[in-house]
Amino acid sequence: MTIRDEIVNFLHDEAFLLDERRFDEWLEMLDDSVVYRMPMRVTKEKEGGDDIVDEMTYLEETKQSLITRVNRLKTTSAWAEDPPSRTRHFITNVRIEREEPEEVHVTSYFHMLRSRGSTTEVEQVFGKRSDVVKKRDGNWRLVRRTIYPDQAILGMRNISNFF
Amino acid sequence: MAYTTVDATALKDIKEKIHTGVLPQWVFSNQQIYELELEKIYARTWNFIGHESEIRNPGDFVTRWIVHDPVLLLRDQDGQIRAYLNSCTHRGAQLCVADCGNKKTFTCPYHGWTFNQRGELIGIIAGNKVYGEELDRSQWALRRIPRVETYQGMIFASLNPDVEPLDEFLGGMKWYFDIMLGRTTNGLEVRGVPHRWLIRTNWKISADNFGGDPYHVAMSHRSTVELGISPQDPMYASYGYQIVLENGHGINICTTKDGTTSRPYQGLPEELWPEFEKNLTAEQRDILYRAVVFVGNCFPNLSFVSPMHGTGGPDEPLTSFVNFRTWRPLAPDLIEVCSWCMVDKDASEEFKEASYRSYVGSFGPGGTLEQDDGEIWTRVEDASKGFMVQSKDVHYNNVLNYLMGMGRVEPIEQWRAPGTAYPTCWLDAISRSFYEHWVDQLLSE
Repeated sequence: MTIRDEIVNFLHDEAFLLDERRFDEWLEMLDDSVVYRMPMRVTKEKEGGDDIVDEMTYLEETKQSLITRVNRLKTTSAWAEDPPSRTRHFITNVRIEREEPEEVHVTSYFHMLRSRGSTTEVEQVFGKRSDVVKKRDGNWRLVRRTIYPDQAILGMRNISNFF
Repeated sequence: MAYTTVDATALKDIKEKIHTGVLPQWVFSNQQIYELELEKIYARTWNFIGHESEIRNPGDFVTRWIVHDPVLLLRDQDGQIRAYLNSCTHRGAQLCVADCGNKKTFTCPYHGWTFNQRGELIGIIAGNKVYGEELDRSQWALRRIPRVETYQGMIFASLNPDVEPLDEFLGGMKWYFDIMLGRTTNGLEVRGVPHRWLIRTNWKISADNFGGDPYHVAMSHRSTVELGISPQDPMYASYGYQIVLENGHGINICTTKDGTTSRPYQGLPEELWPEFEKNLTAEQRDILYRAVVFVGNCFPNLSFVSPMHGTGGPDEPLTSFVNFRTWRPLAPDLIEVCSWCMVDKDASEEFKEASYRSYVGSFGPGGTLEQDDGEIWTRVEDASKGFMVQSKDVHYNNVLNYLMGMGRVEPIEQWRAPGTAYPTCWLDAISRSFYEHWVDQLLSE
């Protein structure tokens, strides 16, 4: 298997575990030093420069804070996810930006669809992810993820999911 | 029978009910009520549109909305704050569609009319050839938002030229705003840009939740208790004071059970403490010293919360932040939340970073507390649209319960600060006052 194949499998496995709500196993794919961020998008004119605002984020996470979030989902009162959301994370357009035997920089597109309750409403978040994945004891682990949403206003009541 | 028309009789009926501590559930979903609210409340009152630190430098601008009125808010070359209707005076196109930026002039993409920071029309394509010199350009300047005033860096605007002065409108709330916004000489600053997201709910549900409802904390946010982040005492969110202010405003000051604290001044950095001495009265300092959470609502839809929180689990030290947010009513059953994270400008970078992380982790749209609020407010709205909630003849379930503390909890007589203060946060005094003020506005000519 090429490194590219391994990385694509890694990203698909992650998405699978998230959608199956096997969050503990998903956490195992994250390095203890993981930096997991979701900065804000704003609408700017072309001449106004970068439309990503790095100083404010939807998610600004460490391994410990992600563990806390997963532990919260195991409580009896995390109403945002009880009844649980049904989610599908579609990960496509995988592009290896830099490849070394033990470290890969990879971008991918994501499209998360979410269904809550018995309505036909479809909630969604979509955009680009920029990841750094490193080999630790023979296994790929996520070391850095930056999630860039395409919307400047989220069309969802909350973010109670991972990307 | 249902109210087919929301007229003065129906509104007086609602007012009577509010006086007895109940509220008809259909006011959360009724289209006519919504339209009355836009006309009689939002078009007449003061609306929060941004903070001075968001337009720090000459030319900085942000675009905002007062419900459906687009607002272009900027700082001109002379440092003046100005707000215009963000719509070209020629054919009405939205003039600036960016959320923020820095510009000297604004050119409409439709026909090229150009306006400067003072709103003056300074360029018309083929101007003299097509309009002649007789066109009085001063008549076609950008339309100013009739009133713009600030308090402690907070910029408010009103579409009503005859609105009372902002000072008068805020009233006693200013005294409490000073504790959060005026405690350090250089004031607060906004971090980055505000979060914006949509919740399928009615604006009064969220405003009332922040304004007068620390009671929901015990159940809605129980997950943080289960995690060991919040105290185990089931009454923990009840301790402190609920303060009813004029004009429908209200604030809760939550404390520990015995009013003492192990984290003076909400854990704000010690180097700022001398500033509190300088900027706050002894009474204000005493409150800030002991407060665990400030949470409230400035009528109609400017809510705020300043708690101490953490994201890492039970052992992580908690850090305070100041969060202001507006609930923009897009429809009877839809709001856009706009939420600003604020911190003292003179705090250390280290504290600012911890404060920001604390906000994002707890009250941003992905925050562990915010998540559950959005979910539950949606559930209230979804259950408030049917026929049964409209029927005034169905006795037991067409009104909602705002009875907590009514006739049971007496005000504190010795309260040495503005407003009517009660010795607990678990009562519906602010909610009743909010709805009384609300219905009075709807009844006004």
